[in-house]
Amino acid sequence: MESHAFSREDNHTTMINLILFAILGLALFGSFVFIALQGSPKSLPDSSAVRAVTAIINLEGSSFANARRLLDDTDYQVLSSNPDLRRLAERLRNDRRQLALTWISLLQGDLINLWRFRRFLIQQGVPSSVKEELGTLQALVLSLVLLNVLRVSIRTVGPFALPRATRQAGQLVDSMSKGAALVLGRIPVAGWAEIERSWVKSAA
Amino acid sequence: MMLSLIICVTAVLLELGAVVLLLRKNLWREYSFFFAYAVWLLIANTAILVTDLYFRPAYTSVYWYIDSVDIALRLLVVLEVFRQIFPKGSGLNRTLSKGLQSVAFGLLALACAIFWGYQRYPGLPIDFAERVRALHLALDRSFGFVQALMILGTLIVARYYGLRFGRNIRGIALGFGAWASISTADNALVAMANVSSSLRSFFSYMRPLSFVFMLVVWIWALWVYEPNPRIVESEPVGLNQWTEEWNRTLSAARTIIRP
Repeated sequence: MESHAFSREDNHTTMINLILFAILGLALFGSFVFIALQGSPKSLPDSSAVRAVTAIINLEGSSFANARRLLDDTDYQVLSSNPDLRRLAERLRNDRRQLALTWISLLQGDLINLWRFRRFLIQQGVPSSVKEELGTLQALVLSLVLLNVLRVSIRTVGPFALPRATRQAGQLVDSMSKGAALVLGRIPVAGWAEIERSWVKSAA
Repeated sequence: MMLSLIICVTAVLLELGAVVLLLRKNLWREYSFFFAYAVWLLIANTAILVTDLYFRPAYTSVYWYIDSVDIALRLLVVLEVFRQIFPKGSGLNRTLSKGLQSVAFGLLALACAIFWGYQRYPGLPIDFAERVRALHLALDRSFGFVQALMILGTLIVARYYGLRFGRNIRGIALGFGAWASISTADNALVAMANVSSSLRSFFSYMRPLSFVFMLVVWIWALWVYEPNPRIVESEPVGLNQWTEEWNRTLSAARTIIRP
């Protein structure tokens, strides 16, 4: 009786194993068909490639001045405290919300442009390691996820509802702006021109 | 029976076609690993065909032995795809080869572990021929899956870095990857005991038919000489600094996640 139960359990394990292989095999086949249908991969740059190079020199999200102030609710609190100015306070809140959403979009665009440019550099032969590449990708994904969460929260509960998080986002913008400016300032002009040439050439 | 023979003859003819193409267009020098595998396929499948026609009693064992060797030799195709996409001496090869080698060894170890686990399975058939068949299917399944994953991984990494593929490697990689995936799935479906006999016969033809299809794709890929475009690299002057600063910028992004 026990041996029969053991055998049935084993059969179940084997069947699960086989079903798993069948599903994985079909999923892999689907992936190959998908890649085949997509055609040859475009080289990193597309029509926006040249724009991306320019964006790296002057990152839009990072160059956004007074981003911390944008998320500061002091003005809103002052206006709201006066019953006559409540409508104005609401307008300010809506404007700030729009601006904050725009700023987050720009910041996301900056991150993606920098990431694209990094991939381009690696393709051009800049030494790196798989660990570093995975770290970069992880950081990018986490940053984008967090910025999206912030975007949803701003859209639903307004720009001042999460003051701590938005303040930290402001700090992020500051540090990213400084970091990106520092990075670009340190690229030798000759090296940068060569990269730009290659970038434009590969877009052709 | 007749269909099997037709498939077998077609496969041998297509393999012959692929080898002739590689020789006539002088591609065998550039794709030497792939050429070696194509020659192996031609010899092996001719041997299987001859055994099937003239030495029928030895057919089963010859088939399993040859197919078991084939499982290992398929890695030549994987290696060819990798070395063509990430040529030796390129920056990408320097960056990725160690990491991807580790992943490849890990995957091979996984395939060995899966097969070893199956080998110890107490419910294996007692009959010798059935047992050999079941073990061979398990071997083919585990390694086919891993090889398809390796090819897919290589293609995904190449796409990530925006590398363009030439027609030759694109066809070889996609054809082989698709076949290895179908083979894995089909192999599992055939091995399922509860599959009805009509389905079982359908599945038993799916693998050789997809193999013939792979050979057609290979011939299409090799018809015109179109290697992968050369990766043009820049001088890495001062770019190490850029990488450092990039990492510093990203570490600022990390503070928002872990303030």
